[in-house]
Amino acid sequence: MAPVWTDVRAVLPSTVCEFPLHFSEKIELSVLKVLELARDELYSEADCPAAAERAQVIIDYSWEKLNTGTWRDVDKEWRRVYSFGCLFKVLSLCHGNPSQYDIQEAIKTCDMAFLKQKVKLDCVSEPVINPAQAVPRIHCPSLERFRSDFLDPQKPVIIEGITDHWPAFAEHPWSIDYLRTIAGCRTVPIEVGSKYTDEEWSQKLITVNDFIDRYIIGTAEDGVGYLAQHQLFDQVPELKEDIRIPDYCCLGEGDEDDITINAWFGPGGTVSPLHQDPQQNFLAQVVGRKYIRLYSPDETKYLYPHQSQLLHNTSQVEVENADLVKFPDFSKASYQECVLQPRDVLFIPQQHWHYVRSLELSFSVSFWWS
Amino acid sequence: MTWFGFGFDGFGQMRPAGVSGQASCNVNTPVLISDVCGSECGVRVRASWSSRADVHRARCGSHVCVSGFVSGSSEEDCGAVLPESEGCTDALISERYLTLSFTDRVECWEIQHPQNKLVWKREQDNTGHAVALPLVSGGYIMPKPPFFRPLCSKLCAVSLALGSEHAVLLTSDGTVYSWGSGSHGQLGHGALTSQEEPQVVEALWGVPIRAVSAGNWHSASVSRNTEQPINEDEKKEADVFISIQAFPALVDVPNVSEISSISCGSRHTAAVTGTGDLYTWGWGHYGQLGHGTENSTDEPTLVDYFPSHHMCVKDVICGLWNTFVSAVPKEQPPS
Repeated sequence: MAPVWTDVRAVLPSTVCEFPLHFSEKIELSVLKVLELARDELYSEADCPAAAERAQVIIDYSWEKLNTGTWRDVDKEWRRVYSFGCLFKVLSLCHGNPSQYDIQEAIKTCDMAFLKQKVKLDCVSEPVINPAQAVPRIHCPSLERFRSDFLDPQKPVIIEGITDHWPAFAEHPWSIDYLRTIAGCRTVPIEVGSKYTDEEWSQKLITVNDFIDRYIIGTAEDGVGYLAQHQLFDQVPELKEDIRIPDYCCLGEGDEDDITINAWFGPGGTVSPLHQDPQQNFLAQVVGRKYIRLYSPDETKYLYPHQSQLLHNTSQVEVENADLVKFPDFSKASYQECVLQPRDVLFIPQQHWHYVRSLELSFSVSFWWS
Repeated sequence: MTWFGFGFDGFGQMRPAGVSGQASCNVNTPVLISDVCGSECGVRVRASWSSRADVHRARCGSHVCVSGFVSGSSEEDCGAVLPESEGCTDALISERYLTLSFTDRVECWEIQHPQNKLVWKREQDNTGHAVALPLVSGGYIMPKPPFFRPLCSKLCAVSLALGSEHAVLLTSDGTVYSWGSGSHGQLGHGALTSQEEPQVVEALWGVPIRAVSAGNWHSASVSRNTEQPINEDEKKEADVFISIQAFPALVDVPNVSEISSISCGSRHTAAVTGTGDLYTWGWGHYGQLGHGTENSTDEPTLVDYFPSHHMCVKDVICGLWNTFVSAVPKEQPPS
């Protein structure tokens, strides 16, 4: 295993003085003491066997703080402490002559730090398409035409021809093998269970390799697994280089930095129940096909949204298996549908209800913008 | 009476030789706490994450000694005596505050600064039948401002256990109340919702309880007659096992007929049996289970050290990540 310490050390500030540990007084002095000891050891260059242990102490203590109270109540400072703990653990793992296992642990630790920063919102989307009411398709519309014909009137459309230049289709065509190479050892959150409204729905953290082995290639023993609504491109910058933000996003009011890019990667049969999102969405299909159904917000009265605060943006109706006894008005709702193909980009207007089912192995990228 | 400790010792709260002297901050098997002195005094040990406070009660006067982070770099054998504590009857220590109760008053001292600072004080009557901290007359003391919280006097509180975000109260007739965050089932009410005010733990209604304890996300209680400990609402450490039990469940401690005391750390539990054995279970990454490993377990397991050293365990107190045990030599059976 090639020593990575020189590369890692080069990324850190050169001296202790340039590595201040400033925290609000919410952080107890005892924890601060451990942080300072860990930092000082790092810069002393001496090989310190207790460094990894010290880092683990910081991680474990701040983990307990992060899990006390709701995520809203937890002081941001404890998340910073947790990140420093992870940093020190990674550094101690990379020191000297790390084994393959050490390196994997180091990467997993980085991912844990990354994941703790994220706050999961609750919405999942799945459009379904109906041939008789097909979503219109248009090839490379000008900005003006897109704005006047679709954005302003808030009408869905499939845009063709705007992703051909993506490296994901050209220089690095995305495939299972490519994803393993770029991100195989990275830890990601996976949704397990047929849909998020089900009782057995849950989330777990596994590596991309494990996800591919167990839920993409593997038999359905483990059930349906979906890498859904995850900001994979922030976690794995190399993948971000393979995609481009659609030009039409500039028609919005927000900054480019405020655009949320999510990855949606899973086997055939993943379902996102009918729901609505608060922002405009470009759903770009990279691998595989998806069946998508769209209902305008005007149809909401026929769609039986859940009453609860948590799920009020989600319909109670199973779109492709609707219980018309329980939800009789659902048959009155008019909709559009499509099968989204690789290279297609579907424009889903803000608050438009959508239902999505993957027809085969699928990888989509969504851009939420305002 | 000798005290032993095992588990997290990252600040020398167990082995006062100093932090840098140790190879590891974990103590996996019980070690003698040498600085808890005196067979004359009764000593009560209290522990926080980084420190330990010993309440010495002697006929000539009582005081508190501290060791670990709070005592600074004191390397004396006997920890550092806190002059502020002269004459106190009981103490509780948390990361930031030391609560001291005296016959006529209760005080909270901030212990994070170089100088300890009195931040809160309240006079109280010498009620004769004193309750144990954190209970005080009229309410209880939380380890954070505003410190004093009132409690309805009709409750007849006997003892109170404070977890990181919940509380478990025992009343004089053996009823258990709980309140605070319920997200991990730690309140024992069967749901995962929080409660602002004390609620009876209905599932224990009719079972007279004699001791309660609270960890960060779980609670434990011991019943008077039927002996077995009842663990309310376990939530264990993520990468070993996660289970949420929102109703109290009987804990099966094998071959045991009676439990005399119980204590909870952040994610582990320790119980002393009537025959002087110690059982521990839960999170063990810092050796706080005392089995000689850093493994966690969800099965109550005997801490072998004590019987094999012919010691009879009398009491147990858990810090966040460690465990302190008082024990006496076993009497030799008459030959």
